[in-house]
Amino acid sequence: MFPARIQEYLRPRSVAEALAAITRYDAGDAIFLAGGQSAMQAIKSRMLRPQCVVDLQGIAELKGVSVSNGALTIGAMTRYVEIAGHGQLDGAFAALRDATSHVGDRQVRNRGTIGGSVCWNYVAACTPTVVLALAGAMNLAAADGSQRSVAADDFFLGPLETARRDDEILLSVSWPAPPPRTGSAYKKWGLVTDALPVIGVAVTVTLDAAGQCSAARIALAGLADGAQRGKLGEAKLVGSRGETAAIDAAMGAIADAADAHSDMSADADYRKQLIRSLGREVATRAFDRARG
Amino acid sequence: MPVINVTVNGTRYEENVSERLLLVDFLRDQLALTGTHVGCTYEGVCGACTIHLDGEAVKSCLMLAVQADGHTLTTIEGLGGDKLSPLQQAFTDNHSLHCGFCTPGILMNMSEFLRDNPDPSDDEIRRGLVGNLCRCTGYVHIVRAVREAARVMREQG
Ligand SMILES: Cc1cc2nc3c(=O)[nH]c(=O)nc-3n(C[C@H](O)[C@H](O)[C@H](O)COP(=O)(O)OP(=O)(O)OC[C@H]3O[C@@H](n4cnc5c(N)ncnc54)[C@H](O)[C@@H]3O)c2cc1C
Repeated sequence: MFPARIQEYLRPRSVAEALAAITRYDAGDAIFLAGGQSAMQAIKSRMLRPQCVVDLQGIAELKGVSVSNGALTIGAMTRYVEIAGHGQLDGAFAALRDATSHVGDRQVRNRGTIGGSVCWNYVAACTPTVVLALAGAMNLAAADGSQRSVAADDFFLGPLETARRDDEILLSVSWPAPPPRTGSAYKKWGLVTDALPVIGVAVTVTLDAAGQCSAARIALAGLADGAQRGKLGEAKLVGSRGETAAIDAAMGAIADAADAHSDMSADADYRKQLIRSLGREVATRAFDRARG
Repeated sequence: MPVINVTVNGTRYEENVSERLLLVDFLRDQLALTGTHVGCTYEGVCGACTIHLDGEAVKSCLMLAVQADGHTLTTIEGLGGDKLSPLQQAFTDNHSLHCGFCTPGILMNMSEFLRDNPDPSDDEIRRGLVGNLCRCTGYVHIVRAVREAARVMREQG
């Protein structure tokens, strides 16, 4: 598979230059290129046929992880390998490391970025699911100078669909300082080691001073309508102390209600079983991390 | 046609490339460095085209040649120099290649892996190899060679 003709390749040095470049073309005719781990496949299969490729690799302001007073900002061009190896993503943010250290393979993690992953929002992908469970905010900028921040719940609209407009660039994904006693975790099951998730489960819980769960978010990867919350289960975790019975009830409620599909990788019942079994493991780990 | 400046295995090249040329095809067809292989349909799933981009293992079928402008690349031809690297020697000694098609990609991936992780466990080696498919020897001999190369390199300091 070879790319169709590309007329122009640009490597801007700043966000302003990148936005100026993208707006010179009609919507969709110019695309941003991050790590290329999804976009290059799409370009070769002609799913994307860009006239212009705007490569973001030279924009330093889009790179890096910063933790300040507990608040976390991850630049859009920060690669999986950098997130996986970051020393400060514990407790509330540990699910980000769980996910990024098992995306694909070493070569993919050396190139793929958090920004590319959330903007692509593949039907079965790890990062969108974790960002959803962690309630991240997507910070976008447009060529007219405007910026907006879109909550994960409003950003991920379904497979390969997000709230980002073609003329907007993702600057970063960010989080305010999490409440004390917050923990998160993610795990997936795929056909081979570190493969795309057949099912992936991400959980965040916050405990009160007495160890009781005061807030919970659960998100799933691998269902046909893409990354999604498991709200039925969240309600069952709140008020619990992370006992196995409470976790099983929460994950069971999600699995029973899930609109699971059957395909070559797994049938619907197996997907539901994965939600239960991965869910138990992941939620247990999230509670452990919240307890510190 | 854009002009790119790249350093490949220590040699500087100034080359004209079309925007849509894949990096792997640039290396193979334009620079005649055919040690970098293509084992899948350029989908980034087999790892045979793995090279080093500024020292890091990446799949050269998932990049455009123009993206390499200003960067330093190493291909399998640049790994050993006059004599085989310890990793290459260990592959020979342990019968770790049969048809040899996947070998360049595996060597490029594992040479970076060992730099970051000089004393890996078998499990870490296996996880490190996920991005490279071998379809004839099986992985047992490959894992053995990586382990042995790690030991030799530690001993050599
Ligand atoms: C072999 C292999 C295995 C994989 N395994 C997994 C896996 O286990 N789990 C998983 O989740 N994923 C997996 N992936 C997909 C991988 O996570 C991709 O890297 C990711 O989906 C895209 O990130 P990228 O940086 O490569 O973005 P690109 O592919 O460069 O871009 C993706 C899309 O996002 C847009 N975009 C990128 N950055 C921005 C920005 N800053 N602003 C606006 N738009 C932007 C691009 O225009 C494009 O449409 C795998 C991929 C491969 C090749």
